[in-house]
Amino acid sequence: MQVFFFSCIVVLSVFVVAKPAVGKTNDEAAGEKTPLVRFHAWGGSAQVNGYLQWVAEQVKIRFNIELQHVKLADTSDAVSRVLAEKAAGNHKNGSVDLIWINGENFAAMKKHDLLSASWVDELDNFSLTNPDENPAVTKDFGEPTLGMEAPWGKASMVFYYRSAHFYTLGLMAPKTIEELLRFSQKSPGRFTYPVPNDYLGISFIKYAALALNKDNRGLFYQPANDKSLNAVLPSLWAYLDALHPTMWQQGKHMLRQASQLQRLVGTGELSMAFSFTASEIPSAVTRFDLPEDVRTYSMQDGSLANVHFVGLTYNSKNKAAAKTVVNFLLSPQAQAKKQAVEVWGDDTVLDLESLSASDQALFVEDNIHPSALDKSQPTILLAEPHSSWTDALREAWYERYGARY
Amino acid sequence: MFAQFTRVARWCLVLLLCVPVLAGLVGVAFPALGYFPAIGANTLSLDVFKTLFSLKDIWQMVWLSLFTGVGSTLLAIAGAFLLLASFYQSNWLNKIQGLLSPFLVFPHAGAAIALLFVFSPSGVFARIAAVGTNAAIPGAGDAFFPNDPWGLSVLLALSLKELPFIILMALSVMSQPLVKSKLSGYIKVGTALGYSPVATFFKLVMPVVFAQIKLPILAVLVFATSNVEIPLILGGNNPSTLAVAIMHWFNHIDLSMRLLASSAAVLQVAVSGGALLLLLGAERVVIYVGRKRLAKGNRRFFDSFVHGAAHGTVALYIALIGAVIYSVLMYSIAKQWAYPDLFPEGTTLLHWRTAVETLATPLSNSLLLGILVSTSAIALVLFTLESEHLKPVGKNAERAFSVSLFLPLLVPGVAFLYGLVWFQQLVLQDAVWFHTYIAHMVYVVPYVFLSMAVAYRKFDIRYAMVAQSLGKTPWQVFYHVKLPSLFSAIMVAWALGLAISFSQYLPTLLASGGTIATITTEAVASVSGSSTRLTAVFVIIQAIMPLVGFLMAWYLPAALVKPSDKVRSLKKKSRAVLHGA
Repeated sequence: MQVFFFSCIVVLSVFVVAKPAVGKTNDEAAGEKTPLVRFHAWGGSAQVNGYLQWVAEQVKIRFNIELQHVKLADTSDAVSRVLAEKAAGNHKNGSVDLIWINGENFAAMKKHDLLSASWVDELDNFSLTNPDENPAVTKDFGEPTLGMEAPWGKASMVFYYRSAHFYTLGLMAPKTIEELLRFSQKSPGRFTYPVPNDYLGISFIKYAALALNKDNRGLFYQPANDKSLNAVLPSLWAYLDALHPTMWQQGKHMLRQASQLQRLVGTGELSMAFSFTASEIPSAVTRFDLPEDVRTYSMQDGSLANVHFVGLTYNSKNKAAAKTVVNFLLSPQAQAKKQAVEVWGDDTVLDLESLSASDQALFVEDNIHPSALDKSQPTILLAEPHSSWTDALREAWYERYGARY
Repeated sequence: MFAQFTRVARWCLVLLLCVPVLAGLVGVAFPALGYFPAIGANTLSLDVFKTLFSLKDIWQMVWLSLFTGVGSTLLAIAGAFLLLASFYQSNWLNKIQGLLSPFLVFPHAGAAIALLFVFSPSGVFARIAAVGTNAAIPGAGDAFFPNDPWGLSVLLALSLKELPFIILMALSVMSQPLVKSKLSGYIKVGTALGYSPVATFFKLVMPVVFAQIKLPILAVLVFATSNVEIPLILGGNNPSTLAVAIMHWFNHIDLSMRLLASSAAVLQVAVSGGALLLLLGAERVVIYVGRKRLAKGNRRFFDSFVHGAAHGTVALYIALIGAVIYSVLMYSIAKQWAYPDLFPEGTTLLHWRTAVETLATPLSNSLLLGILVSTSAIALVLFTLESEHLKPVGKNAERAFSVSLFLPLLVPGVAFLYGLVWFQQLVLQDAVWFHTYIAHMVYVVPYVFLSMAVAYRKFDIRYAMVAQSLGKTPWQVFYHVKLPSLFSAIMVAWALGLAISFSQYLPTLLASGGTIATITTEAVASVSGSSTRLTAVFVIIQAIMPLVGFLMAWYLPAALVKPSDKVRSLKKKSRAVLHGA
């Protein structure tokens, strides 16, 4: 009897194992009909993941394209992947089609020729970004994009704080970089920033460098060199030397990932932090990840701003379908959906003036959440320094404060 | 015929374990020597190593890896033997086994996150400590847990995870018929001469047991010195352990850092090797000191200290498990939950819904891979074990076989996995499922083998002899006699294989290039996100998945064999086999 059952189980498990494998080959054979586009994008945010799921449903219905969101913990994983494929001579059958990048991930991919060039101009919806009037969509951290990546969204740096903590501490939220230091000195351990490897970490350092060098700001928009570094670094070091011992864990341990900032503000271990997506704060409150006493604001001495992009790899096997997906990402419907606070809240790259009235109406929002950024207040935007500054500042930082992995 | 076939299976097993590891090592050795054509490095030299050793923090990293790895293993060994010494003759032992079993299958990433929930300045223990005070803001994160620069939180977390494994290994050895009769003889002698139970254990039982579980302990040690998940989540980063730095360099945006990463991977092999030597050296010292003490005639061996420490350890585990379950469950359904409240303001299923919506594909991928890997691993292991019976090999071949079995566990994963990916890109670049399958098999087969080997040794060979003398062929004996009587052990080994396949993070991510999302890759990605609540949901799902396999393994054989009354006894029996893992 047992033997019979055992044989049944073996046979069944063989079926279970074999059947999907058969299904898989069918899929591949039918590849002509429903092209598969693999979009490698950071997967640490429920909002972004939810939005991409919506995009996948839309492109399936509209264009019969299968969009797979490959969730990365770190975008450089995908960059390494494409490089490894190139190294192994896999020039036609890459496993990455689209990749969400900007800044130095883009610079690295451009340097090693890992992206397709001049495909963005082919997209119908790209003209809606008004590239002639709006150079931010064709320059990625000062680096010309050469049509290798299409703009996808826009962000600027905001700070957020626990108003209940500040009430208990009897303090006001700091409005400038100098006030931030005074706050951290009065109430040690309640602020930190991630290591400069992290996108937000290096952004904080750039913000500090820009804010502390108001008189030398022009230097940041030319390639960095020893002379310009020597001009701007002393004030930055003096500031950070004073700030670090007052930070969370006395600055001995710093966070590896920016997303941990939000987690620690949520648990109350930090009293304030910063973000590049203003809308993620109210949406985190509605998802209970941040408490209701959180308030968002922009620093009065300026707010670092940049654009993020979608790149197409040089060895993608479904380029046509991938371009269709990107064109959809740039459509007013997809951009408006992305800008909605309850979805993701990422600012659109489209030039609203050049849209039709009905398309413009898609972007109007009514209910403003108490934790959301008050957009009626004027904000000074600080453009991203030339991309060479990212490496220069980071290396100088590591040189001074040690390599923190 | 059948005997021939099993020998082929044995060779397949050896090749399956050795080829990927050796290919992977070659794949990092060349870049470590400066040869990596993809980025234009074409000359062989030692320059990369020079750069590596000129790094300011490199020795501190090596020290942290050694300290956390060796320290946690020693602590876990000490803890495990204290527990065994205190409870080996009591009924409590079964309860402790049951208590510790879940730790075995709980993935490291999940365990690290769970400890973070409990021990952080806003965690459950801090909240309990704040009861009755006016604290409205949690401590500012200057306690030693987590992320301390000395690596103590990593050491503690690793040893909490290793201790159950060592205990279960020791118990599986102690329950083997041959060893068991030998040990009970020793115990009788010890008792007759008036030694306390604790002294009997340390002087007579432990030397026998330790010698038998040395290889698995060394595997634990290598794992501890090269683990990535735990130091990544709980360790400091000024500097981090070597393994974390390696992963960081491999993923570095500046692709020339891969050379440095590869040389560091070679160094990691040396560090793990050094840790092995340290542990073996420590063993020598213990043996030397132990021999001297053995003849002294002390009838007691710090008895009250041993009992106290053992009870303390059990209490710690109970408190921890309770706190982890409470905080993870609560966080997964919590609305707002301000410090220092012990209960959330309300409950919601929002986070569960968010997770479940995205889980269909990862879940089916995990199951498919796990079932495929575990089933074929079982088949391979069974045939290999059968070939041992049918055609025993010489002593040297036997030794070579057990080393090759442990090879994937003795070579640090961060050292060979990156090289393996490079190698896999050279051959069959499209076969991601195949590559992922191989990468999983490398880790699953050794554990399945260990688990099954114990059951095989316990199998009463006289049944096979009777069947053979009645004219049955080896295949018939295998199929009609051995398989049915080993069925529950097979199911447990299968569940174990499933659990290990489920928990693989780095192998899945690297071999599939991220295209095969599993529950574990999703969970680690969610930890890099900002939602504590979503992370809690993933931790629960990660914990439940392997348990489902084990529940099936415990109840299915019993239900199939005899529906009602035997369930309990069979459950116990199969649990004992699980401890072979």
